[in-house]
Parts: sequence; C-alpha cells; structure tokens
Amino acid sequence: MSAPILQVSGLRVAYGPITAVDGVDLEVGRGEFVGIIGSNGAGKSSTMRAVAGVLAPVGGSIHFDGTEVAGRKSHEMVAMGLAMVPEGRMIFGDQTVRENLMLGAYTRLARRDPDVVDDLEEVLELFPRLRERLDQLGGSLSGGEQQMLAVARGLLSRPKLLVVDELSLGLAPKILDLLFPILAKLNAGGLSILLVEQMASYALAVTQRTYVMENGRIRFSGPSADLARDDRVLDAYLGRRHDA
Amino acid sequence: MGNNMQFLLSGLSIGGVYALVALGFSMMWSVARAANFTHGDIFMLGGVLTVAMFAAGLPLWAAAPLALVIAMVAAAAIERFLVRPFNKEANAIGWMLTTIAIGVMIESFATATYGPLPRPLPSPLAAEPIFVAGAGVFPQELLLPAVAVLAMLALYVFQRYTRTGQAIRAVATNRVAAGLMGIDADRITMFVFAAAGGLGALAGLLIAPVIQATTTMGLLIGLKSFMIAIISGITNPAGVVAVAIAFGVAERFIEGYLSTSARDAFGFTLMILVLLAFPQGIFGRKEVSKV
Repeated sequence: MSAPILQVSGLRVAYGPITAVDGVDLEVGRGEFVGIIGSNGAGKSSTMRAVAGVLAPVGGSIHFDGTEVAGRKSHEMVAMGLAMVPEGRMIFGDQTVRENLMLGAYTRLARRDPDVVDDLEEVLELFPRLRERLDQLGGSLSGGEQQMLAVARGLLSRPKLLVVDELSLGLAPKILDLLFPILAKLNAGGLSILLVEQMASYALAVTQRTYVMENGRIRFSGPSADLARDDRVLDAYLGRRHDA
Repeated sequence: MGNNMQFLLSGLSIGGVYALVALGFSMMWSVARAANFTHGDIFMLGGVLTVAMFAAGLPLWAAAPLALVIAMVAAAAIERFLVRPFNKEANAIGWMLTTIAIGVMIESFATATYGPLPRPLPSPLAAEPIFVAGAGVFPQELLLPAVAVLAMLALYVFQRYTRTGQAIRAVATNRVAAGLMGIDADRITMFVFAAAGGLGALAGLLIAPVIQATTTMGLLIGLKSFMIAIISGITNPAGVVAVAIAFGVAERFIEGYLSTSARDAFGFTLMILVLLAFPQGIFGRKEVSKV
C-alpha cells in the first residue's frame, strides 16, 4: 500500500483571533475520491485553502506526495502537483477561455512541457461546450460554463491531486448532473480528488469516503455509502424531517 | 498663433513626461493595489544619475542605461522591502507611509551628494531647435510624447502576447486565482514595479537635457502624475497616456495666457473637478467581481 497523496494532521487555521479550523486530521489515498461535507462556516473551505497554500495554517502538518508542505505558497503547490478549483470559480473574466486554459498550464508552459497541446485537446473532449467558446471572454460564460472552465483549467496543470471547493455553488441541478459524473470519470481514470461540498447528497453519491465537518473539526467520517444511510447525516445534511 | 503652437509643442513635451511617470503608477496599481510614492524620485534619479555619471567621465551611451538599471533595481528593492510587507491586508495603507518617507530620504541624499543646483546634460537632440509653424522646439522635447505612446503600445503588446504579460493580467484580475495557476504573484509584482521604475527613470533622463536635472524635480512631477493616473481611471494605460498629454498641454496654455504661478492652482482645480464628475476616472470602470 503506497503512502497517501495527502495527509493532514492537527491542522489549525485562524483569521486573527477567530479559529476557523481547529485540529483537523484527514487523508486522501492515491487514486481515492474523498469528500468533505458540512454546513456553511464549518471550516471546509479554510481547510482547503490551507491545503492549497492560499493561506498559511497556524498549526499542524500537511504532507503532500511525501513532502511536508504546510506554509508553502499556492504557486509552489501547483508546481508540486496540487491543483485547486476555487470556491466561486475565479475565472479571469477579461481573458478568453483559451487564455484561461493556458494559465492553467502556466507552470508546464514555463518548463516547456510538450504535452500541453494534447492535454488541451483532452479537456476539450471532456467539456465540448468550452471548445465552442474558446475565443470568448471568460466573463461572458454562464455560471455552469465557468465551472467547467475552472475544472478544465485545474486539470491542465496535470495535478496528482485535484481539490475542488464547492463545485455546486450557485449552479442549477441540470449542470450538477453533468459536472459530478465528470469528476467521477476523472477519478476512475486514476486522478485523486478531494471535494468540498455543501450539497451533501451529490458529494455522497460520487465519493468513496466522506468526512463530516462541524465547527472547525471533523465530527465523523466513513465510507460515503454508509454515511448516506447514517441518521446523523440524514438529519443534518440530507434534510430528513422528524415528523411527529 | 505662433505662441499657441509654442504652448502646444512644449505642452506635448511635459505631457510626455507625465504620461511615462503616470503609466508607471498605473502598472503598479494594477498588480498591487498599491504604488511606490518614491516614483517621482525614481524619475529624478533617471536624470540626476545620468548627469552625475556623465560628469564623472562616463560616455552618455553608458551613463544613460546604467542610470536606468540602477533606478529599476531601486524600484524593485522598494517593492520588496517597503511595499510588500506593508500591503498584506486588503486596504492596507502602510506602504504609503514607508514609500513617502524613503522618498524624502532619497531626495535629501541626492541633494547632499549631487548639489542643490540644476545641472545640464548635453544631447545631440537638444542642440539645435527645429521650427514648426513658427514655434521653436528641440527634437528632444518631441521625443517624450513619442516615447510615452510607444511605451504604452509596447506594454499592451507585452501583456497581450507574452506568457509573463498574461501572468501580469492574471495577477491584476485576481491574485489568489493567479497563485492557483502556479504564478508567483509576488515576483510578478516586483517585476512590474521595476519596469514602472524604468519608465519613470527614462522620462527623467529624456527631459534632463531640456530642463536641466535637479534633485527636487521629482516631487511635483510625481504628485501630478499620480493624480493624472487617478483621474484618468488608473488601470487603463491608453487613457492614462491620453489624459497626461492633454494635461501637459493644458498647463502650458494656462502658463502662457495667465502665469506660471496660476498653473498649479488651475491644474489641480481642474483635476478635482474631473474627479467630481468621474469618480472612477475618465476612462475607469467600476471594479466588479462576478461570483
């Protein structure tokens, strides 16, 4: 059994005096598809930002691909093989779809990786809508198309681990029914994925294992199929009602 | 008629200076949401260092590029040590204090070593005036607006067609997202500050043969150029250059028809009025972010 691609232990993230993440342990095995669910403000996104190097944790360790990376900057993490699809997508609205995709391959273009062209073709196969819009400005795309672009852009760095923060944010169910299977397909192709998601039902359906976060901590975790039947999850995150 | 032509030509010249310096403010602001307030002094160093090194015996072809390089290194160092550590939080203003303070020090140090008096710089383009519609002008003066427009076009092409230029645009749009693409936003920012410093210093050394270089020439030019950048909508390079040149011409007409002492009173009043009418700057856009 090879070492996990990502191993987080005792992670603590704070914004000034406010602690957002208070001792989180989690891991993602190689080739695994792991989810983190929890309500708004549970600390999911802060955990992701620390893992991706967007903010520095105040404590704990983050092992990525065998190296201690806590405190490294996001641009270093991309070069090491971690790509994040950020919450809110963060498309470069004044640049074309093609330019956005090329920015996704920025570190590879810097080292003159010849496979970028083939990979571009591959992500366009995955998202045909983007091919039709290659020369449009990113800002002119619909929310769903922007999310496709954000995922495609992440893939073009050829990551070992893809971290997706709130894939469903602001998107219609029809788009989600398109996007979640694509993540499952990417995982089936061998990509390790860590997905943070408020829409627990979608996340539980595609991931293998799930962590449930509350108030900056992991409350419990387990195989997604089991959690989908767990009373605690059903009550809190899948909207089951207690009708007297 | 001849007078008006004279005002126009010398206005284009000073407008070219404002344009180059203001372009630097625009570039810095775009990537850092901060600026180097020693920028006027970097402009001064371009002229003063060239004069000093030329006086020390260096040929002009060596003194001028060397002055540019020193100014760019200084601008990069100012970004690294005086802007970056004081621009960590959103809406931080510490960088304002640190760069204004070091600017005063640069000027004092320059005055102590170079001397308080203006010193000339010979240039083959400022030896014989040419005459346009009865108005005399040195070719050197017309070089300034031309260089400013060229610099703006070069900037556009660079940002549009090079990988580093694309990274600069990405950092300007969203620093966090740029980092997630693998772009080192801090390095890009330092690079942009150095390039901006280079443009400012270039303006300083190009105007030196016309006005004679002094150690105090940066203060007012820096201040006005920053204001010009603001009123034109700071992140629009073409707008900045156009407004800067127009402002230079307007100043010369005010000087000509009223007096030199009226120039700044009218000029600054004009800027305040423009800002009242266009809070985002004449060519500025409200910053919107789509979530």
